[in-house]
Amino acid sequence: MQSHLVLLAVFAFFVSLVFAVIAKDNPREQIRLGGLMFAGFLGSAIVLGWLMYPLPL
Amino acid sequence: MRATAAEETQSGTLVLLCLASWAIPGAGHLWLGRRTKGLIFLIALPLMFAIGLALRGRLFPFDLSEPLVGLAAVADLGIGITYFIASALGYGRGEVRAVTYEYGNAFLIVAGLLNLLVVIDAYDVAVGRK
Repeated sequence: MQSHLVLLAVFAFFVSLVFAVIAKDNPREQIRLGGLMFAGFLGSAIVLGWLMYPLPL
Repeated sequence: MRATAAEETQSGTLVLLCLASWAIPGAGHLWLGRRTKGLIFLIALPLMFAIGLALRGRLFPFDLSEPLVGLAAVADLGIGITYFIASALGYGRGEVRAVTYEYGNAFLIVAGLLNLLVVIDAYDVAVGRK
């Protein structure tokens, strides 16, 4: 598997999962925090990727 | 002030708990009766580490002349006994030319660091902070 986006998503999934399980005790809160973190990881990576698109100038 | 026998026993148990939690991800939580959390850590962290190895990441050597390499080695070791099993089986040599090499390193290092966070969480649960 060499797709950077898929590897990024897999990485974000594991990190979000562990952080959410550590931080919250209630399953519903864990899913909410994990989902938010996962979306944040993916969203920020895509936005930063597009911001860096014209570089090097 | 001298510690009482009960306090010494408790601190000995805490050390054992932290060692178990480090050696086998999630073992500390399973020990403390937090079965779901323990099972999630037990599956997720070694799986993340295995993905790092499959992506041809490197288990860094303890080379103190290169501080970043030494720190990466400490992070890799954070995953516990899985590190020694992978090393003994010859995994983790790292293939620098592989496209996924850096991703593999990220998975290996972060899996170890997350397990260290899990150890700290197990300690907090054991002492009643959580």
